[in-house]
Amino acid sequence: MIDFVQNTVDGIMFGSSYALLAIGFTIIFGVMRRINLSFGATIMLGAYIGTWLHVQHQVSVWIVALTTLTSTVLVGIYVERLCFHAIRRSAVLASMVSSFVIWMQLEEAAIHLLPERTYAFPALLAAGSFELGPFLFRAEQTSMLVLAMIMVGALHILLYRTRFGLALRAVSESSLAAAYMGINAAWVTLCAFALVSLMGGVAGYAILSTDAQITPFFGLWATFKGLIAMMLGGMGSLPGAILGGLLLGVVEAHALWYLGNEYKDLSAYLLLFGMLVLRPGGLMGQRILSREALAFRRV
Amino acid sequence: MDDYVITVLSNIGMISFIALSAYLLLLTGEISFGQQAYFGLSAYAAGAATAMFQMPIWAGILVGACAAGIIAMVVGALTLQLSGLYFSVATLAFAEMARLILLIVEIQVEVDGEMVGPEGANGFHGIRWMFERDISLTEFMLLIYGLLALTLISLLLVERSRLGSVLRMLGSDDLLAEMQGLNTVRYRILAVGAAGVIAGVGGALYAHFTTYVEPQFFNVMLGVHALAYGLIGGLGTAFGPLIGVAIDVGFLEAIRFIQGYRMIVFGGLVAILLIFMPRGILDEERVHRLKAVFSRRNHARA
Repeated sequence: MIDFVQNTVDGIMFGSSYALLAIGFTIIFGVMRRINLSFGATIMLGAYIGTWLHVQHQVSVWIVALTTLTSTVLVGIYVERLCFHAIRRSAVLASMVSSFVIWMQLEEAAIHLLPERTYAFPALLAAGSFELGPFLFRAEQTSMLVLAMIMVGALHILLYRTRFGLALRAVSESSLAAAYMGINAAWVTLCAFALVSLMGGVAGYAILSTDAQITPFFGLWATFKGLIAMMLGGMGSLPGAILGGLLLGVVEAHALWYLGNEYKDLSAYLLLFGMLVLRPGGLMGQRILSREALAFRRV
Repeated sequence: MDDYVITVLSNIGMISFIALSAYLLLLTGEISFGQQAYFGLSAYAAGAATAMFQMPIWAGILVGACAAGIIAMVVGALTLQLSGLYFSVATLAFAEMARLILLIVEIQVEVDGEMVGPEGANGFHGIRWMFERDISLTEFMLLIYGLLALTLISLLLVERSRLGSVLRMLGSDDLLAEMQGLNTVRYRILAVGAAGVIAGVGGALYAHFTTYVEPQFFNVMLGVHALAYGLIGGLGTAFGPLIGVAIDVGFLEAIRFIQGYRMIVFGGLVAILLIFMPRGILDEERVHRLKAVFSRRNHARA
């Protein structure tokens, strides 16, 4: 029983980072109805630039964190301009493939910066742990959970209490209607991209600090974990992204403990496939309309 | 031709199968991130048939392609309700499950005093049909291109037939297709199954060409590349994906001298190409115009 609770706690801690990645996917999907495959690679290149400064010039940890965030935002804007703004809205597939080839490009750029397989990642906090009753908490994981809660809170205020948030939600609802109301959809999209990249940068920094190392596989990992968590929760839903991330974390933690390392990813994909087959809309998403309803709407 | 050129050409041929498989689904409007699963499952099934059970190669390819087709139809039936990104991610989840299961599976039988069969993460060694029969690389390349030509001709015939129009109609508006009285469920499962068979033929050939397969080769990168080929080459004709493969493999081989910067150059070029040609080089419009030019020339001759 103690193991079960401890695993669940660990899962929630780790799941909070999945949730942050999933929020990035869900906002971009909401605003653009398109998917950005290079999201993970964007974060990775940002973190690589920060680590490169640390390795080459031994700058302080704070500068690494700051560089990671700014370069992630800049790379994110580059992706938005090239893969989404330049390609017309109806060409969903072209945007997706374009973001995929740019992923490969960013990954190669990162490997050029730091050609070794792994590098130590400079963490902001020293590793440590504390005990609460029978349960063990790792300091860096706990701080990640706290960070995730702060970011979700800030995002909530931004989305529901500011004019920019209102504009962003309006564009998500219907970009055409938003344009009629005088909202510059292209500008909102660019800002959303920068915002999401910033959040991705923070999430990436927190995850890499917990791992204490950075490898070229991080881009793929971040993209997939974010995508899975978003789909579990329901596309375009903010609470869904958080719930999906936590669920993914908890399921992976239990699979790792009870079944072993080979089954950790397998259980995540099994959960996703099962969810899509049985409840395609995810936990919090809208139900997919039945065909009859679609036909009726058209008539 | 030296072995290097033959190997590159054979690789182009084998990858073309998975590109055509992804293309067939793109016609019906579905984006699959998971065609690599059928390529990989068939590679294992075909390898098992020839190496573990001593079957001839044609039987191996048949076993692989059928296994891939049947599994694809089951997955297709399970994901019937899904479309768009939901379908893409479901296929991705299935493909990763298949890959991770292949990483665990260990079934070995003794053949001539040696243990042969899938060995989990170590892959599947000893698919030596080519060496046992003394088949040269050139002969095997001819087999690859023979089967590829057969697949391509069938696809071109399908595109000209009523079935081709039905598939494209499903792609542009499946609700309308259903209102026209078409059995969309049947056509969709047919398309998914056929795409699985095409990828399976490629996988079966791949297993025998390399003599060794491992689950890591069938990761999602292969599947997304397969999609990108159709989109680079063009969605207007079945030649499109082949052009995509030739551009990717050929171009990347040609710019070997800038080793290390290849993806930076190639990725940038493809991104720019997609801005100007969002449905690829040979899209429906250009194919139509090309056909008009050719038919006019034929008329003039007659």
